[in-house]
Amino acid sequence: MKILIANRGEIAVRLIRACRELGLSSVAVYSDADREARHVREADEAVHIGPSPADRSYLRIESILDAAARTRATAVHPGYGFLAENAAFARACRDAELTFIGPSPEAIALMGSKTAARGVAMRAGVPVVPGTERPFDARSTDEEIAAAASAIGYPLLVKAVAGGGGKGMRAVDSPQMLASAVRSARSEAGSAFGDTSIYFERRLRRPRHIEIQLLGDNGGTIIPFVERECSIQRRHQKVVEESPSIAVTPELRRQLAAAAVSIAREVHYTNAGTIEFLLDEDGSFYFLEMNTRLQVEHPVTELVTGVDLVRWQIEIARGERIDVNFDQALTPRGHAIECRIYAEDPDSGFMPSPGVVRLIRPASGPGVRDDGGVSDGYEIPVFYDSLIAKLTTWAGTRDQAIARMARALREYQVVGVKTTIPFFLWLMRQPDYEAGRFETTFLDRILATRSESFSAFTESEEELLSVAVAIDAFLRTSAGASHTAGTLPNVWLQAARREALRG
Amino acid sequence: MTFEIELGGRTRSVSVSRGDGPDRYSVTIDGRPLQVGARRIGDFSLVVLTDSVQQAGEHAADKANGRNDFWNNPVTRQLFLMPGGSPGEILVTFEGRTSLVALNGRRRGRAADPAVHAEGDQAVIAPMPGRVVRVLVAPGDEVATGQGLVVVEAMKMENELRAPKSGRVKDVSVSAGTPVDAGKVLVVIE
Repeated sequence: MKILIANRGEIAVRLIRACRELGLSSVAVYSDADREARHVREADEAVHIGPSPADRSYLRIESILDAAARTRATAVHPGYGFLAENAAFARACRDAELTFIGPSPEAIALMGSKTAARGVAMRAGVPVVPGTERPFDARSTDEEIAAAASAIGYPLLVKAVAGGGGKGMRAVDSPQMLASAVRSARSEAGSAFGDTSIYFERRLRRPRHIEIQLLGDNGGTIIPFVERECSIQRRHQKVVEESPSIAVTPELRRQLAAAAVSIAREVHYTNAGTIEFLLDEDGSFYFLEMNTRLQVEHPVTELVTGVDLVRWQIEIARGERIDVNFDQALTPRGHAIECRIYAEDPDSGFMPSPGVVRLIRPASGPGVRDDGGVSDGYEIPVFYDSLIAKLTTWAGTRDQAIARMARALREYQVVGVKTTIPFFLWLMRQPDYEAGRFETTFLDRILATRSESFSAFTESEEELLSVAVAIDAFLRTSAGASHTAGTLPNVWLQAARREALRG
Repeated sequence: MTFEIELGGRTRSVSVSRGDGPDRYSVTIDGRPLQVGARRIGDFSLVVLTDSVQQAGEHAADKANGRNDFWNNPVTRQLFLMPGGSPGEILVTFEGRTSLVALNGRRRGRAADPAVHAEGDQAVIAPMPGRVVRVLVAPGDEVATGQGLVVVEAMKMENELRAPKSGRVKDVSVSAGTPVDAGKVLVVIE
């Protein structure tokens, strides 16, 4: 098997690592902006597929299939995002006799429609959040939309039918806000998914976001995994995930797992997928949606169960039967936390901070996993998501995993662009986070009332840094330059001089 | 040589001269004399040592002030320095946090909001390259502080740029679909 990786960044690097461990060849694809990217350097082969904008490279099915044909790849892994949940792409791979490492095109199409997926959950006997059962496309009138919204009741959520990753989603508190929310959700959904259809869901007051990872094979075996807790979200985007959830008892875990399995059975699901639930304060849970792909946050599950999900994706696609112990998958061993390190400036409202990463030195040591996609000298392009790395820590207890995360964040060095590391360092010290008292609105609420910098230094740290900056400035003067061994001429220049003298 | 270093809202006066050996410096910060070791590692990092620094009297005075600082306890730390966006700006990264430091008061306003403190006309500028998704105002509109003016998509996220002050929209220089570079003036408010 030779696998073409139809993605970029950290997930492409993760998939290439899996290929190498399985002794399989890997093929990377890249746009103009990614010519020197880390995933391109690490794959066995790499094919240029077009200009930097994603719709002219990573989202172009023909370019990906051409690259597979040119390199005689036999399989395609889509990663997450881009074409991962595009049924037409999965079908095109099948037609080109390429093994698509993921579920069937039929399952992707069915569960990819948020409204159809709600129907599947209802047939499987799993409760869903009250909402519209029919999508509104571009032809729906404002009156129809307003009537449906008042039938659901406020507050509600406008969601893209093709949605995912918080895109094309808007919270609406009153009828006056509806029209503009529908307009902006449609526009975002159109550019992200090429489909402007939307629907409405009742907004639960303080729900947690809990999800169940699944693996299914072609023999009909479906294995559910320990839940992931993904309630730490900023504007509906997950930023911290952990496993297990502090709010889930072993009994609730069994109920969630059983509900997830019955939904997956209903669509004869194969390969990796995730069923997302909202968990209400009273302990009742509702089906939210299914993600028919590998998720960003899969490492926390891998760390608490010891199961390599990407390896199993590939094995299942090769026709292997799942050989994972049911109890091992559903019994957490210790606790894992993941922080998504983005090139964003937390002190400017998390504005993207593109630029050249001059130096990146990931954390290491006991219980630390770095899923990185960037190396020294790489310019973070403005065309894609700005995820630099996922930092995950594992420890015996949740408290220890938090302490370990704080330690690892302090070690993690990124020079050249602003990152969300200072924000995570702050979050790890918040009493509500430490106590597990949070739900999906928690982060937006506390960020709204906060104005101090996340990068504050103590008085004595400020003095140390001031002295360092002054010495550095002094070294850049002629008086200082002669005084240090740290600014010796470039070693290559020295070597060249010796070479010239060799005669 | 004396430098004015602005960090965390405070300006400190730091003078530096050669110390008593290689990679040693005599430093005075806000009048306090120190002996410090420092060495550059690569292009972006500096290792600083703060051993043998205090005179006995000052040591006691600092303790009395409740200062538990690097100068009383010998430490070695690595930190990372990089030129910032404007002359005299340096980005300092230390133990997971990054801050902008201004050297000798040469710091200008941030490129993204030079107009915020200005009187009269205020320009709203694209903070990064992207594409205009929607224009929410037209010339002549009255706008309130914080009201959305233009939505720019950059790095797959829609960012709404808001009015820095209340006033009347004087000029709108972009329309939906326009690609914009960082620094491009989008809207002027008078």
